[in-house]
Amino acid sequence: MSKAVPWDEAEVRGPKLAYTITPENCGRMIRRAKRLLIVVGGNILDEEYTKAGTLHILERIVKKTNATLAISAGVFKAFHRFEDAKYAVNVESLVDRLKDGNWMGFDGKGGYDFILFVGSLYPFQSMMLATLKHFAPNIRTLTIERYYHPNAEFSLENLSFERWRDGLEALVKALEA
Amino acid sequence: MVTKINIKELTSSHLKIKGLELTVGRFVESEDWAEPMGPTPYPTIMDLREWDLKLLKRYQPFYSPLSDFCEFCTFGKCDLTAGKRGACGIDMAGHIGKWSLLQSVMGASAHTTHAHHLLNFLIKQYGGDQPIDLGSEVEIEAPITRLITGIKPKKLSDLIDVVNYLEGQITHLLSATATGQEQNYLDYESKALHAGMLDILALEVADIAQISALGFPKGDAETPLIEVGMGVVEREKPVILCIGHNVAPGSEVINYLDETGLYGQIEVAGVCCTASDLARFSKGAKIVGPISRQLRFIRMGIADVVIVDQECVRADVIEEAVKVGSRVIATSDQLVGGLPNLTNMDEDTIVQKLASGDAKAVVIQDPVKVGRVAVKAAQLIAPLRANQKGYDKDKVLAKASLCSLCLSCTKNCPIGINVGLAVNTAKRGDPSLLLEVFDECLGCGRCDSSCPNDVPVLTVVDAASEDKIKRERFKIRAGRGPIKDTEIRNVGRPIVMGEIPGVVVFAGCANYPGGNNHLAMMADEFAKRRYIVVTSGCAALDIARYKDENGQTLYEKYPGDFDAGCIVNLGPCVSNAHAVGAVVKIASIFAKRNLRGNFEEIADYILNRIGAVAIAWGSQHQKAMSIATGANRFGIPVILGPQGVKHRRAYLGRSEDYGRWLVYNAKDGQLVYGGPSPEHLLCVVETPEEAMVMASKMVMRPNDTPKGRMIKISNYVSLHRQLYGCLPEDLHLFVRDENDLPVTIKEEVLQIIKQRGWKPIEIPDPTLLSRMVMGGR
Ligand code: SF4
Ligand code: SF4
Repeated sequence: MSKAVPWDEAEVRGPKLAYTITPENCGRMIRRAKRLLIVVGGNILDEEYTKAGTLHILERIVKKTNATLAISAGVFKAFHRFEDAKYAVNVESLVDRLKDGNWMGFDGKGGYDFILFVGSLYPFQSMMLATLKHFAPNIRTLTIERYYHPNAEFSLENLSFERWRDGLEALVKALEA
Repeated sequence: MVTKINIKELTSSHLKIKGLELTVGRFVESEDWAEPMGPTPYPTIMDLREWDLKLLKRYQPFYSPLSDFCEFCTFGKCDLTAGKRGACGIDMAGHIGKWSLLQSVMGASAHTTHAHHLLNFLIKQYGGDQPIDLGSEVEIEAPITRLITGIKPKKLSDLIDVVNYLEGQITHLLSATATGQEQNYLDYESKALHAGMLDILALEVADIAQISALGFPKGDAETPLIEVGMGVVEREKPVILCIGHNVAPGSEVINYLDETGLYGQIEVAGVCCTASDLARFSKGAKIVGPISRQLRFIRMGIADVVIVDQECVRADVIEEAVKVGSRVIATSDQLVGGLPNLTNMDEDTIVQKLASGDAKAVVIQDPVKVGRVAVKAAQLIAPLRANQKGYDKDKVLAKASLCSLCLSCTKNCPIGINVGLAVNTAKRGDPSLLLEVFDECLGCGRCDSSCPNDVPVLTVVDAASEDKIKRERFKIRAGRGPIKDTEIRNVGRPIVMGEIPGVVVFAGCANYPGGNNHLAMMADEFAKRRYIVVTSGCAALDIARYKDENGQTLYEKYPGDFDAGCIVNLGPCVSNAHAVGAVVKIASIFAKRNLRGNFEEIADYILNRIGAVAIAWGSQHQKAMSIATGANRFGIPVILGPQGVKHRRAYLGRSEDYGRWLVYNAKDGQLVYGGPSPEHLLCVVETPEEAMVMASKMVMRPNDTPKGRMIKISNYVSLHRQLYGCLPEDLHLFVRDENDLPVTIKEEVLQIIKQRGWKPIEIPDPTLLSRMVMGGR
């Protein structure tokens, strides 16, 4: 038995807390999304993400799902090789639009039903997820960070680096299966 | 304080009155001030609400709850998640609105108390008739005071009314946060904007009073270069360390050293804004650094006597200082620290008590006495604690052996530094990671108290970095205070016309990931691009803690004028008033707008015409947020670094929402599209790259001339290309006409934006105030 605790020990929330799921289930869930948006944070080029090959993982997710990539503008340069729909954003303004039910998305074709977060400083991402949890409770949010995020709807548990890195691989495999 | 009585129409059997306005109260002489009084002298909560609501319609509050609960009353705590209301009826938006107001009130009240204490002291020392004099080239000595209150203060005692006004308004604002009072989030925000504006006024009062009375620099561009860094203090001498914001106790230390001929024999240093002020008072004062250096310098035990005054003093400073044998004197009623009040005790008895250790920390609420006691005590104590200065490196590093790599410290680090791994690697004989941590660490000490094995994590980091600390010596230009009227005359036109691409202010605290070099890198980039770069507070100190490839700090590299391609250090955080004051003066000196009691018109002018933006990269506490909110009410946008998200609130525009960007064309009263500039009033960014590109965009104003807009677009595009590697997606929103585009990219951009349905628009004479149409005629 384990209980999911926030990575930042003071980020205690409740009573609505993220469900912890396995990487494999993340993959299955992503597969079922109709309009998937991936929000890539400004820390995605930090060593830990690079060592885990996160960019390559994202590339494979996008290929499999036609997801739209909203990339924190400061790290956009690193995504030039991505050919699919990608946008340089200020993540806070993006979340402002996401919580607005009338926003028609980057392509004008409608909102996004599923938002995947990765690559931000823990407290920053936590607060963005908190905004959506409180002001757009119908939007499904998933974080694939190494750390448990109570404000998402679905989150991984706190994982060792190796388990997380392997988990990301397992996630993509489940998606590609 | 004055009260206005307005009688629109009164008819009785004896009397018929129409349109009578009576003003009752103590007047400050302003007979040589020809300006007519504007509509809102000494504005109350309701007087500028319409202006706030205009801002908040365009820049809507964006909330990120830091907690899911409200804990303000005994009905609760109440869960407010996802639309639930608390037992009192409040919802999450209202609750965060209340937080927003509380933060601003805390900030404004701290600065008001600061102004109050300082003013009382200066009047006592120098007399109420001490003239307010900011030098011969600063005729508009108090732009914020003139604008908000409608008075032109000439002597220190004229500022008493302003402080009374501040205290009265702050009470009303705080009252609105009580359960059962305000309930609408927009009105909470309007009140937060009011509090923020008051904060800027309090800053000005404090700073013009001390500049006038204490002989601080009066807008000189070439102020002395002062030493800054943890390595600048000569630990062999007796050391007095001042922490906080109120210069009075520290300046009295220096006065006493001067009087007794001891100057130079005793080190006087400071942390945070008191340090910046001491450097304005005496070029022999030394600056240890920003708030991130506070705990670490105290722990090193170098200070023999620590004087704490108010604001930004860590809550563990007294305890930590006593632990290393330093003596502490608390000097403000704002921070008494549970200590005995010896203010009325004989001076020599206090010195004896401190020296003998009979009393290790005391309160003395008389700055002159503090000065004398601190010097005498430091002389006696220093020889006794010569071996308590600095770390016993080997002994401290040995404590790393207790580490079990649980990573509790890492999890508790506010900026996610993997300090646990660094400690554990040191345990295995390699301290190199600790040196890397040192560069990024905020010095908060949260890692220490989280360690289950009692590893003093921060001390381990610092002990390993001892050589770095000793080499930490930089140069900063002492804060220059106001911007001269002559400078405003020179740059007013090019700023309003957009030919100087903008004024970028770096302000705020030291709470950011990635180290202070980011701040310096940003300031350098904007100075190179010939923006006017302005610094203040801890940000100014942090920018100094970086040397370029030639071994120079940015203050040595760039001139200190308020001009294109220069870097101006205004001074401590009270000097932020001069950044706002400079843009207010542009409206007055260049555009000849009346200031007197005329807030709304001037803020409208700034919002629509003056390309100023602030970057508070490391905003930490309520005072920073309050100043930011105040700047927003003046029409100045602010960008916060990622930690700023924990202030819980931003004011965001929506660039594609056409309706939000309509302005009156003052020429004919038509509502026309002015474009999303500035796009946000307060926003959080994640990276320095994003902060830079955002700032280059946020200096655009609807009124820019084609040449000015061309220069701004040119910088926006080139920074976007340099840092993001592509053209901006939203460029079409900022091109009003082909002439706005630099020739080098005109063809390429026109082709792209035409595909996006771009159509030229007319450049308006923009205002949000219908009464300003046709110049108010
Ligand atoms: S002292 Fe430094 S390493 Fe420790 S928690 Fe604070 S910022 Fe992190
Ligand atoms: S909290 Fe203490 S034991 Fe745990 S990793 Fe940090 S220093 Fe080591």
